Amino acid sequence: MSDAPATKARTAMASITFTPSGETIEVPLGTSLLDAVILCELDVPAPCAGQGRCGRCRVRVRAGDVERRSNAGLVSAEILDGWAVACQTYVTGSIEVEVPERRRETVRPHGHAIAEPESLPLTCDWRQDPAVRTFELDIEPPSLADNTSDFDRLRRALAQQHGIEEVRAELPMLRRLGKDLRMANWKVSVTLEMRDWVYDAYLPPRLIRIYPGAFRHASMGVAVDLGTTSVVAYLLDFATGRVVDSASAYNKQIACGDDVISRIIYAKRKRGLERLQHLAVETINDLLDELQKRNGIELYEIHEVTVAGNTTMTHLLLGLDPQYLRAEPYIPTISASPVLEAGELGLRANILAHVHVMPSVGSYVGGDITAGVISSGMFATDKLTLFIDIGTNGEMVLGTKDWLLSCACSAGPAFEGGGVGDGMRASPGAIEDVFIADDTLEPTFRTVDDAPAVGICGSGLIDLLGELFVTGLVDKSGHLDRSAPTDRVRVHDGVPEYVVCWAGEGGADHDIALTESDITGLIRAKAAIYAGFEVLCRSVGVDLADVEEILIGGAFGQYINIEKAIRIGLLPDQPVERFKFLGNTSAQGAYAALLCVNIRHDVLDVAAKMTYLELSADNSFMDEYTSALFLPHTDLSGFPSVLAALQKRGNGSDAPRATT
Amino acid sequence: MTAVEIPVEKWSGAVREVTLGSSYGGGTRTSTVTVGGETSLPFLGFEGALPHRPALAVEVVDMKPADWSPELVATWGDDLSDPANWAARAVEEGADLIALKLRSCHPDFGDRSATEARATVDRVLAAVGVPLIVYGPGTADKDNEVLVAVAEATKGEQLALGLCEEKNYRTIVAAALGNGHLVIAQTPIDVNLAKQLNILISDMRLPLERVLMDPNTGALGYGLEYTYSVMERLRLAALMGDAMTQQPMICTIGEESWRQKEGRAATDVPEAWGELAERGVAWEVTTAMTLLESGADILVLRHPGSVGVLREALDDLTKGA
Amino acid sequence: MALTGLQIYKLLPKTNCKECGFPTCLAFAMKLAQKGTELDKCPYVDDEAKTALDAASAPPIKLVAIGAGERAFEIGNEIVLFRHEKTFYHQPGLVVRVKSDDPQLAEVAARVASYEVERVGMKLRLDGLAVEHAGGDAAAYAAAVAATRAAAPGLPLVLMSGDAAALDAALSGGAAADRPLVHAAAAANWQAMADVAKKHGCPLAIRAEAGDLAGLVDLSENVRGAGIEDLVLDPGTAGLAGDLVAFTQLRRLALKKGARALGFPLFADAGAPTWQAELARATQAIAKYAGVIIIDHLEPAAVYALLTLRQNVYTDPQKPIQVEPKLYEVGSAGPDSPVLITTNFSLTYFSVSGEVEGAGVPAWLLVADSDGQSVLTAWAAGKFDAEKIAKTVKDSGIESRIDHKKLVLPGHVAGLSGEVEEELPGWQIMVGPRDAVDIPNYLKNVWGA
Repeated sequence: MSDAPATKARTAMASITFTPSGETIEVPLGTSLLDAVILCELDVPAPCAGQGRCGRCRVRVRAGDVERRSNAGLVSAEILDGWAVACQTYVTGSIEVEVPERRRETVRPHGHAIAEPESLPLTCDWRQDPAVRTFELDIEPPSLADNTSDFDRLRRALAQQHGIEEVRAELPMLRRLGKDLRMANWKVSVTLEMRDWVYDAYLPPRLIRIYPGAFRHASMGVAVDLGTTSVVAYLLDFATGRVVDSASAYNKQIACGDDVISRIIYAKRKRGLERLQHLAVETINDLLDELQKRNGIELYEIHEVTVAGNTTMTHLLLGLDPQYLRAEPYIPTISASPVLEAGELGLRANILAHVHVMPSVGSYVGGDITAGVISSGMFATDKLTLFIDIGTNGEMVLGTKDWLLSCACSAGPAFEGGGVGDGMRASPGAIEDVFIADDTLEPTFRTVDDAPAVGICGSGLIDLLGELFVTGLVDKSGHLDRSAPTDRVRVHDGVPEYVVCWAGEGGADHDIALTESDITGLIRAKAAIYAGFEVLCRSVGVDLADVEEILIGGAFGQYINIEKAIRIGLLPDQPVERFKFLGNTSAQGAYAALLCVNIRHDVLDVAAKMTYLELSADNSFMDEYTSALFLPHTDLSGFPSVLAALQKRGNGSDAPRATT
Repeated sequence: MTAVEIPVEKWSGAVREVTLGSSYGGGTRTSTVTVGGETSLPFLGFEGALPHRPALAVEVVDMKPADWSPELVATWGDDLSDPANWAARAVEEGADLIALKLRSCHPDFGDRSATEARATVDRVLAAVGVPLIVYGPGTADKDNEVLVAVAEATKGEQLALGLCEEKNYRTIVAAALGNGHLVIAQTPIDVNLAKQLNILISDMRLPLERVLMDPNTGALGYGLEYTYSVMERLRLAALMGDAMTQQPMICTIGEESWRQKEGRAATDVPEAWGELAERGVAWEVTTAMTLLESGADILVLRHPGSVGVLREALDDLTKGA
Repeated sequence: MALTGLQIYKLLPKTNCKECGFPTCLAFAMKLAQKGTELDKCPYVDDEAKTALDAASAPPIKLVAIGAGERAFEIGNEIVLFRHEKTFYHQPGLVVRVKSDDPQLAEVAARVASYEVERVGMKLRLDGLAVEHAGGDAAAYAAAVAATRAAAPGLPLVLMSGDAAALDAALSGGAAADRPLVHAAAAANWQAMADVAKKHGCPLAIRAEAGDLAGLVDLSENVRGAGIEDLVLDPGTAGLAGDLVAFTQLRRLALKKGARALGFPLFADAGAPTWQAELARATQAIAKYAGVIIIDHLEPAAVYALLTLRQNVYTDPQKPIQVEPKLYEVGSAGPDSPVLITTNFSLTYFSVSGEVEGAGVPAWLLVADSDGQSVLTAWAAGKFDAEKIAKTVKDSGIESRIDHKKLVLPGHVAGLSGEVEEELPGWQIMVGPRDAVDIPNYLKNVWGA
């Protein structure tokens, strides 16, 4: 599709010289500048993956002619100056192109990410059944009389000294076995992976590493939450079962698209998939480096890795073509991944360390959700439980230990600050908490790290919308009351907006405001998620009010203020004690599976058992969605606490500032 | 003999009673029309009250329509050129109400002023004694301007003003609120959107006894089944006690039926379609009857022949109620 | 009563063996609850569960076939009172009544048989003829039926006579092969009628006086006792209101009270002195529960309206709501009118066409087949891409109807414009607004400019 220009029998070539890197490349005429940039592995952002929608892949043509299909987002002075939108600009002859230095995003995802991830599911008995163990062995040296082979000798010692009857080893390990044993003078420590992820089949423990002498090393594992936006890694000590450190970073694939659909489109480009895979590995490797350095361990001491991610992310990590995820009937290449070694994937851990990718349920319910169901413990409870992971895709699971039903609804990036004019991720300076006074209509707010305000993050957006609503500044359909007695409500460029922070007050060079179109976006996002709850419940004939526990997981979940989320109709109006925050359930599930053998059974069980409800095939979803496109909801009777709050504040069923 | 126990639904809700037109307090109507009040599904008198029969309105346009079906042009003749004559004739043909469309105020179709619109409304009010529905030209800005002027000039007449939509409801609701009129709340074939607009209007403190809802009509063959089911769902919700769905429903049957090919094409159509004169009326009557069965309270029609057929059908449907 | 997915799931083996073709037992159970699959697909379900599930899924209204051969039609098997609750399954047969002594009987029969009108790609036809015994003896009636069959071979029939001997003569004369509906057994003659219907293996209508539902129950018990299984209930006619009440009560009794005696399709006599009054009656019968509808007038305009209504009402509301993908003309579009393209999700279509019409600018509206998805959803699922757009343009024949080559894309897929240009050489691709409400402004200020 995107490389079509290059394939239409135009074989004439042209050269492109990039500055400041000085690199030169020959490409067929008709190649887009973005494709050329990718071929040279230069760093140009492409959040929309080259669809010409975002206008951010700007480069400057310094010499030569090009064909411009679109100049999205550029003003005429810039065009005269040579600036061009790379994905919409095509090579017609030899040219020189300047690729601007990127201002790197240095901020990390929200600092609280190092939350205690040690709430293991009750069924997790890792002391009884650890996934990785190290044993010290004193092996009888061979002699002419005792000429058993080295490996059988090691096996015999393991059985005699530790009761481990069987062990297996792969060729790379055997190739060095003879030397390792003799160098260590037959006194060694062996690290074994006790249980592989093979369903319903017994495989003996596997030899990962031999250390000379008594064990003075670390035996570590890493659990990775590979998110579309941010990636978190926990470093686990197999000796104690504890998480000793964690690190997080933005997914480097963001340069190739903000959301999964954009990345799938990007993967279609020439070498696009290769680049995405590379960026995923590189993101994880950077975290491994950081953890390794900070904790003074060696890479070979990382004996096992688990990765939880949505289906698109795991496909991209493994270099699997994601195209069929996107097109009906939405089929992934695999749900459970084969056993991989860190070496073959290019991860910087012990090259024989296994990398386990958490199995997914469907194209839009991935291993991150399987992990979430594991870490939340809902797979083992009698209580009717709803598990929610609110992010770009709102995924949710309803069920008990007997059955699990999941769905995904596309909420869009609004809750992560995307698609909102002054939205941002939860990094320093993001407004995360807002209150608006009834009488003055003036806001007070708090920012992440108390830094000067530069934008509004997801939790701040929920707060702000909730406040605008209960103060009557926004009506139930999301329209601002332009006659409100405050200069904070104004019409700017034809769009009504509410100013939260004037330019002079914060760290931004402009007024930070929420516009009516931002509000529409937020209402759509929350409506998609709430409609998901309703459809999930109705499809099995239960009522939302029958749900005994609502578990909120996902990286974003922990920052939500429940009361305010209920106020805008994002969460059901249930007693607060029914809600529980679980933190980053994806990482925690990956951690539990890393640590504990029996959890690995549960993971496979859950993924096989979970039923996936495809909402695009469900007519009632549209109906529920429309019903939820209202503040808090068209069916007010489902929101008694909001109704009471409105009535108390006198904004229930009137519009004191109604216009004429 | 076997005794059959007839299942009777016990509904807890009722459709609101809404009265159009007034003969006192500024009102000059010689008759008024009250619709709504049902406590049962349409025409099932055995399980609830059906205090008012659905009303028939005839559409009158303030300028000779250039794009109407030849069958309608032939039927109304010269009356199309004068809204007052047209309205008077419509009443003779059996209309309970007149639905006056101020199309000439549309920027593209004459852009007449609010003052001229007021004069037209006055003339029609003088020509007939029945209540009036007044539709603006259908563009938000001009609707606001024209309908506010008309509302102020006709204070107390209890007109129904349309269309009130989610994007422009505030001005029209305020005009109705201040001048004793009604509004017609139109939403695009969706239960939730209909309910949402009623909530927004009610939040402005216009009593719901002054709101009609128009769930947006799809003509026979052009989405009729969506309208049909949306109306059934709205009526069921109303009877089950959902206060924000209890508005009487008005359907613009004539406009939708006659703009389709079936209502316009006299030649070059399959023989199986029959002649335009019969086909146009058949399309309008079938659309109307179907929506009566799903809860329509006011039908806005275009052809006098349809008025006659539906009047008879309503006589039959409301016999003994 | 119908079971929910969860109730059915509890009866299944819960092994997630996938042998039924569904990924999990719950997915299978949910599909069963929607009546979208058969229980037999599960190889491991036990007998106890089978019995429970069969009982829950027995149709409350019996499926009855009328006629034989290609034009036979089935009625009944309905499970809801309102189509939005699920769908109406078997559309009523529309049957034209002729009198046995009508000199034009054969001509009318031929016209009924050949009436056909096409709508949304479907051929709509009348379903049968009712031959009413009017004067003459059994032999005369049998001759009239034979003449009807000769004029309209294969067309399902309703034989209307109170005289069992006349019916027997007609059926014995060959009509039995067509499996006509015999109308009607009443309190006075039910035994003889049941005998005739049984002898010839035909479905039988039973008829009570209007308002006498108890009489209908008695008749039902009697004729079923006599061995007739395929019944149609005729509750008599009592004007529009009375008929509506009777039909509603019968449907409710069958569905909600499980009244087996009344669990059969309904017979509506919509006949009236004028075609207009008859149209009103038949409209009500289609909307409200009839299985067979009798009309007397073969007025093509009314028949076309009724067949269209039947198609509308019996559309499955659970299916994605879509419109026919094709070229639509909004207003009197000409060679210089704009061409806009969108998807065939009905609400997308309705809002776009509504706004285009409201703009007062005649236009061509090209509707692409996106399986009923909206523009953004279809784009995300790869169903509204450059290739599809180009194919839609090429297949529509729009090129021969316009003198320009400009195509307006929905604003949401602005990014496709380059690719569409590739696919449609010589076309100028323009980007329209994202939201339908902005179309009038676009057409007036951008398109024209």
